[in-house]
Amino acid sequence: MSLPGGFRYQLRRALGPAKVLVEPEQLRVYECDGLTGQRAIPELVVLPESTEEVQTVVRACHRARVPFVARGAGTGLSGGATPVAGGVVVSLARMNRILEVDLESQRVVVEPGVTNLDVTRAVADAGYFYAPDPSSQQVCTIGGNVAENSGGAHCLKHGFTVHHVTGLTLVLPDGELVELGGKALDPDGPDLLGVAVGSEGTLGIVTGITLRILRRPETVRTLLAAFESTDAAGTAVSGIVAAGILPAAVEMMDRLTIEAAEKAVAPGYPEGAGAVLLVELEGVAAQVQEDAEEVARIANTCGAFEVRTATDDAARALLWKGRKSAFAAMGRVATDYYVQDGVVPRTRLPDVLRRIEELSAEHGLRVGNVFHAGDGNLHPLVLYDAAAGETDEARRLAEEILEACLEAGGSLTGEHGVGLDKACSMPRMFSERDLDVFARLRSAFDPEGLCNPGKVIPTPRLCGEVPGPYRVHPLERVGLAERL
Amino acid sequence: MPSVSSLEEASELLAEAHEHGRRLRIGDDLTTDGLDRILEHEAGDLTCTVEAGIRLSQLSGELARHAQRLSLDPPGDPTIGALLACNLSGPLRHRFGAPRDLVLGVTLVLPDGTIASAGGKVVKNVAGYDLARLVCGSQGRLALIARASFRLHPLPKSSHTLLVEASDDDTLARSVAALLRSQLEASAIDVLHPGRLAILFEGSPAAVESQTSAATSLLEDAGCLVTQCHKAAIWDESRARQGAARGRLRFAPGDLASALPLIDEAVIRPAAGVAYLPVTAPDDTPPEVRRLEDAIRAQLDPNGVLA
Repeated sequence: MSLPGGFRYQLRRALGPAKVLVEPEQLRVYECDGLTGQRAIPELVVLPESTEEVQTVVRACHRARVPFVARGAGTGLSGGATPVAGGVVVSLARMNRILEVDLESQRVVVEPGVTNLDVTRAVADAGYFYAPDPSSQQVCTIGGNVAENSGGAHCLKHGFTVHHVTGLTLVLPDGELVELGGKALDPDGPDLLGVAVGSEGTLGIVTGITLRILRRPETVRTLLAAFESTDAAGTAVSGIVAAGILPAAVEMMDRLTIEAAEKAVAPGYPEGAGAVLLVELEGVAAQVQEDAEEVARIANTCGAFEVRTATDDAARALLWKGRKSAFAAMGRVATDYYVQDGVVPRTRLPDVLRRIEELSAEHGLRVGNVFHAGDGNLHPLVLYDAAAGETDEARRLAEEILEACLEAGGSLTGEHGVGLDKACSMPRMFSERDLDVFARLRSAFDPEGLCNPGKVIPTPRLCGEVPGPYRVHPLERVGLAERL
Repeated sequence: MPSVSSLEEASELLAEAHEHGRRLRIGDDLTTDGLDRILEHEAGDLTCTVEAGIRLSQLSGELARHAQRLSLDPPGDPTIGALLACNLSGPLRHRFGAPRDLVLGVTLVLPDGTIASAGGKVVKNVAGYDLARLVCGSQGRLALIARASFRLHPLPKSSHTLLVEASDDDTLARSVAALLRSQLEASAIDVLHPGRLAILFEGSPAAVESQTSAATSLLEDAGCLVTQCHKAAIWDESRARQGAARGRLRFAPGDLASALPLIDEAVIRPAAGVAYLPVTAPDDTPPEVRRLEDAIRAQLDPNGVLA
């Protein structure tokens, strides 16, 4: 596919040649995001610096029926920013200004290219922070976070991106502009803001975001408990929940990931641990202190053979060190790994972990488990050796793990998104009718199908005509199974 | 007035109206009173899935037996469907959010009879478009909400309310700003304009006590008169006034001081920037947002059954 005559010229004239990349070696930089297995070279990359320039680009694409894909830092793991061949990539990297810090309203207004951590940096001195903390927060952009509804380790207490966005400036796929929400909450009418957040760049391009910031908690306390097994650690998680405690984060690592972390960064976790549980509590001092004692007591009751507590930043960083390095550390124990992202109801964690162990044995590949235990979001790391031809086997294993998550009433993805990676898996979680309603909603925003096409909703071109095995949606399965 | 008691029945009724070009108003011409079961409450997951016709009080009673709650306390006793469709919240909105913040998934019946689900029953999930949030605030004009899943919270072990009187708007606004700037974690802060403020602390007895005393000194320093009250009558008053409100006004939360003198009387949720007024307020939805809503309606309800 090539661009219509005059398209390049038109954009270069409107934006200036420096903001329109056309050279193959420049375009190649944008050929993929964090899902590196999927690549496509765009026809053009544009680098707009304002909402008006984004509108100019989108209008031109709309007129000429050219597909376009918005891109932030390209750290996404599901191919949400993979270019469409023959299309345009709209990089928002240059729209990286913090437009307003309104501490009295506890709001910050930013452009989409601002990095996640820069929001917290802008308000930290005043005693505030921006809560969603995806592990790529040093580089990932707020625009990308909005597209993916990003979470992070601390979303157990504070929620996801959708809970912290109060306003959006959205360029619709025909170039029109809408302002959704603002600094105040609860606008009248359907929650379009909530629909736009997490829509993976398929409903328009966000050019301005109003974020809610939170007051830094009075006290933060981190506990690390070492157990013989993930089963024992899982029982402790259930105990914490049953006690009515809501930690900011509850993270778990299994034996394999602990080993890898020790090799990579030597966090000095208790020797011989089959599982470590990291629990972070934050809030008012009296509550945190009480909860911390209770968490330690529960951990001990559930068989923890060592519990460490950190009260200052340096000690906390040490406890988190192994967890934060877990993905990268996998390189120490395997040549290649694939990160899966599935969700199960928290109470089903032990069953699903056992199933993963079985699957791992069946496929003859090792699986490490690092996960957000508090909300049932698993990140199994499937280890393989591409050079030994294990890639397909690893892929199959990863898919079967996902299948086990859905079996347990969970979800295809907790935070990485559907994108290109899981579009063809959508029929495993949603019926044809569910997907048809998604498609109808999408065409209300983008009737021509130009905005990040091929993502989220499966297409015959991408997935073939045969839909995957359908299972009853978790919501319909509960109580009684019914489907017309 | 037909009350549906199954998804199929709702689907047939709507599909028939769709075919014959009839209009239906959910709540008037069609109710979900017969869809009132709790389908699942997994206490260990702090989630539940219910049919939309169940009343909030009935659900709350059931959840309380497991020391849990759906942290929404709007005026009256709406059905869960109405709670979502009208995006209803009460004083607890301050800390726990609106229905859109706690809903995890929905099963909808579209006006053409299509039954569709979105979201799920797990707290963390980004697969597919968020139809559950889409119908929040839709006023029953996009689809019939048949089922919904929610995130729950543990019931607090104890709670305490502070009733605060301020002699003038400035003192009131200053006190609210000081509270919001502090590291206290109130569950509710309602301004009962003019002149009063109600604050709710929840948690362990020790934590509630320490927060209450810290808040009391902070508010007295700001020049307010603070009354301790264990009884929650003030919250009933606040909800009653909210329920009787005829209009809503929104403002940037930091602009409370300039907003107060412009309003005679209101219940205000200051961190949300929302004031419930006894008088009507103009709809502030921008025309381009209206157009987008219409485009969505045209897709989901092409024959205007729920128009």
